[in-house]
Amino acid sequence: MNKKIIIDPVTRVEGHGKVTIHLDEYGQVKDAFLHITEFRGFERFIQGHPYWEAPLLVQRLCGICPVSHHLAAAKAIDQIVGIDPKDLSPTANKLRRLMHFGQVFQSHALHFFYLASPDLLFGVDAPVEKRNVVAVATENRDLALKGITMRKFGQEIIKAIAGKRIHGIVAVPGGVQKTFTKEERDYFLDGKNIESVDTMIEWSLAMVDFMKGYHEQHRKFLDEFAQFPSGHLGMVRDDGATDLYDGKLRAIDSEGNKTLDDISTDLYDEYFSEAVEKWSYMKFPYLKKIGREKGWNRVGPLARVNICNYIPTPLAEKARKEFVEFTGKKVNNSTMYSHWARLIEILHCAEEMKTLLHDEELMGADLVRKGIPRLKGIGIIEAPRGTLTHRYEVDENGMITRCNLIVSTTNNNEAMNAAVRWVASNVIDRKGTVTDGMLNQVEVAIRAYDPCLSCATHAMGKMPLKIELYNHLGELSYERTKN
Amino acid sequence: MNEQKTDATVLLVAMGNRERGDNGIGWEFADTIESLGYDFLDLEYREQLFVEDAKLISNYDVVIFVDASYQKFGGGFEMSRCFAASHGFYFSNAQAPAAMLYLAKKLYKKSPKAYLLNISGEEFEEQPSLSNEALKNLQSAIEFFDEQFLPLILGVRV
Repeated sequence: MNKKIIIDPVTRVEGHGKVTIHLDEYGQVKDAFLHITEFRGFERFIQGHPYWEAPLLVQRLCGICPVSHHLAAAKAIDQIVGIDPKDLSPTANKLRRLMHFGQVFQSHALHFFYLASPDLLFGVDAPVEKRNVVAVATENRDLALKGITMRKFGQEIIKAIAGKRIHGIVAVPGGVQKTFTKEERDYFLDGKNIESVDTMIEWSLAMVDFMKGYHEQHRKFLDEFAQFPSGHLGMVRDDGATDLYDGKLRAIDSEGNKTLDDISTDLYDEYFSEAVEKWSYMKFPYLKKIGREKGWNRVGPLARVNICNYIPTPLAEKARKEFVEFTGKKVNNSTMYSHWARLIEILHCAEEMKTLLHDEELMGADLVRKGIPRLKGIGIIEAPRGTLTHRYEVDENGMITRCNLIVSTTNNNEAMNAAVRWVASNVIDRKGTVTDGMLNQVEVAIRAYDPCLSCATHAMGKMPLKIELYNHLGELSYERTKN
Repeated sequence: MNEQKTDATVLLVAMGNRERGDNGIGWEFADTIESLGYDFLDLEYREQLFVEDAKLISNYDVVIFVDASYQKFGGGFEMSRCFAASHGFYFSNAQAPAAMLYLAKKLYKKSPKAYLLNISGEEFEEQPSLSNEALKNLQSAIEFFDEQFLPLILGVRV
């Protein structure tokens, strides 16, 4: 009998969606999809608001990565007041960067320690009661304590700059609204009230070492699980170094050939388009010159490590080189290496935060600059989950007439679907039965991309995900819901 | 300010969202308690609990979680003891109080005495004010907290 498996909700991701897997009468997988079933329409209802409200409003898309939306919108709105990234004052630029590194640091810590580590520590087919942070806390207290403290450090950085851990405000058109004080800086350096930034670097290094050790024991799994060719997209500096806050867009194919050669972020619309599918509210971005079918790219830590010439902090660069050695210096197309790349980025952010905290310009007084107003602006940033694009158009009164948000998870839409198809074809296909462990592997594949489905559809409310199995007659024959 | 005394360190964690109608009842409760001037009691406002809140609650002898509830309680609210439990950890956020207590115990070796005050609401759609029913239940909960819970349960002399 033909069947369709539906995973609904998928757990330990941010957002609400479901997975459907279609089997034929022989138990062979015919197709598999990740459906994003929530809709919010944020781009529509922001229209009519004055442009300066955008960085405040759009961060409400998400409680996990509001800083990324705040800063991407701020970069776009900077352009509307005539300020390009190079025109920001050094203090504004460095404060925004520090907050961004704090955001990526805390978000990556949340994902690795709270969401992904149970898969690695207990195995992808571990019983459900072990697939959570409580089990990690119970069986690996030191790891859990480090994870919580690291996330808190990043949140404290955000709070010091923006006033709140979540949905704080610092960016204003053309700059920032406050500077940093010596007391605020010393809080993160002296280790008296919270663990110091030096400790964060030390622990980040330990996490990279943990991953290297895991890799030694599970290399076959990491290499093969949800491995498929794809493009990779991210932002780099003029010299090709990773830059999470500002730079040029670079994309490569699965072999490492450049498909987008360091273009200005202002030219995004010329190179990219978005497709829609009737079975998902999430869009499918792709490179126009390659086309819908093959022009999609992965984004996020793995893509960023793949595309860059180097990482501009010494310890993270050393870790990147070791990472690259394991794939024979070729492009890494294995989904599970995203976790390793994410830990390298945690280390990079810790190093960057230390450098910025020692920079006297962080405490400067030149906060806001103005230029000649424009009617549109585009802001692109490397958010924790990947390339995030905010684009706004305004009328002569400064009211927003058009808004387009292409979030990281949207960029990874096709990759997550490919990962689901891989698991369906390699784990579930022709097995005759569908176990809980098999279905969890679908979630493991999705989870590696750290999707934020609420961001991707700009949705709100309860956000679970689930799996369903349908037969060829369209009848639901299996369902799992976790909420 | 009322005159009060207790040797215990007490934390009140108000949970909710003022933009969601009666879901803001926990925060309104905390606002009122603050206005009564109980300086022995620390207040924290949360839209949801996070894993790292386990560290926060581990610093106190007594923790009182206050939240809105869909349930209709006789008298408009329910105060109950809350114990550590390890279930319900699917998501990264929106953790349950019992889960926070479990993490506090496992990670920080602390087991604060905890209570959960659920106050009945009836309208949870997007609006910035409480329903009349919720306001009535809020008042009942405050009177109970002030007149019975603090002196009789916590032994606070007011």
